[in-house]
Amino acid sequence: MKTNYIRAVALAAMMVVGGAEMRAGACCAVAPKAEVALSERSIYQVEAEFTNDAGERVTLAALRGRPVVLAMFFANCTYACPLLVSDMARLRAALPEGLREDVQLVLVSFDAERDTPEALKAYRERVGLDAQWTLLHGDAESVQELAMVLGVKYKREASGEYAHSNLLTVLDREGEVVKRVEGLQQPVAAAARALTIAAK
Amino acid sequence: MKTGECRWSRGRRTRRVRPTLLRRGFGGQARVVALCAALFCVVALCAAEMVRVPAGEYRPLLKEAGEPGSVAVAAFEIDERPVTNGEFLEFVRENPKWRRSRVSSLFADTGYLAHWADDLDLGERAPAEAPVVRVSWFAARAYAAWKGKRLPTTAEWERVAAVGFTTENGATEREYRAFVLGWFSKPTPEPLPAAGVARANLLGVRDMAGLVWEWVSDFNTALVSGESRGNTDQDRNLFCGAGAVSARDLENYPAFMRAGFRSSLRANYVVPNLGFRCAR
Repeated sequence: MKTNYIRAVALAAMMVVGGAEMRAGACCAVAPKAEVALSERSIYQVEAEFTNDAGERVTLAALRGRPVVLAMFFANCTYACPLLVSDMARLRAALPEGLREDVQLVLVSFDAERDTPEALKAYRERVGLDAQWTLLHGDAESVQELAMVLGVKYKREASGEYAHSNLLTVLDREGEVVKRVEGLQQPVAAAARALTIAAK
Repeated sequence: MKTGECRWSRGRRTRRVRPTLLRRGFGGQARVVALCAALFCVVALCAAEMVRVPAGEYRPLLKEAGEPGSVAVAAFEIDERPVTNGEFLEFVRENPKWRRSRVSSLFADTGYLAHWADDLDLGERAPAEAPVVRVSWFAARAYAAWKGKRLPTTAEWERVAAVGFTTENGATEREYRAFVLGWFSKPTPEPLPAAGVARANLLGVRDMAGLVWEWVSDFNTALVSGESRGNTDQDRNLFCGAGAVSARDLENYPAFMRAGFRSSLRANYVVPNLGFRCAR
């Protein structure tokens, strides 16, 4: 009698859980996968928050799952940063078809004061960056933390401009650095190869 | 001597624990409570005192076109001495992600707290009162945030380091210069001596030289010039002779050393004689 009661309760519980899963659209045969922890080398461990030019609060971990080419810049920069952006576009063009459409191109501004999400949106429109580009604004601390992780040097000058390293960082789908391109207008073939291998 | 200063760490005066309580033979539980309270008092009393630094100016070592000769530094507070092993132990005890066995290599290189005997055991090579070293910038920053403080900026740190034993400008004091330069000529002892024991500068701050190098919040601005258009890493043109060309004070050897040292760091590096102190 007691055994039958337990069986009935268990069956009812299974039906309730199964029903909930069905309503959520999950497959009843396969349990949902637990999220795999980030590796020790993933820069997505950085917990700092940024705001994209659509006004959404994000962490870098939102980039997880697709390869990334990332650079730090500021929108008012008239010489080095346009070249950095052009180098990123050149790197994307050097990727094989399929990966070319999959890669995320990410620009994070040094200029926490002037490069607000609205200013970055205006920059996107002015320069003509498509949806593959992500533009991020962060407060001074978040920007500093990311720069430290990437090994980017920068300094705000009295004029309000920024002196900075010119660096493209290539990340695999998990946020691990697979290649760094230092300087402007450098060859991108090696970075494209590294990204192709990492994306497999 | 300022209020709340820890006399133990100085060795100038010894506090006496009243022996009557210990002789009374109260129960085990009460004894544990009393010992915990005593330990808390010791930690609280030995916590680094902060020194108020009045507004002043910092003269960067490297001059750049269009840059002012000096940078105004607003008033701030800075720890009287570097953070010690004992204090950092409390931090890792309460923040397990910063323990040696758990820290991520993204945030601290191998060698992090390597001179400690274990995760929560300082051991003989890391006396509690000695400055903590082999900590990354990330760990130092996390400690400062845990204490409700922050790391000093380069400008703040250099503002304090420029002050001598008896005047605002240590560079003009023979004794102070000899003290600072003398440190560069000696190898780092192990274990390191206690922090907060050396002679204070005019502001009442100790160990700005003579004990360990120290992290600053913006160390990655060291040797960054206004020229961002080079085709390779900017640092290349700024070391050695090229760096000296743009220096304001060619005799300020300690400032050269610090700028060069900072420029060689990455935020996850750990170094056997690199520690930190906090500001607010």
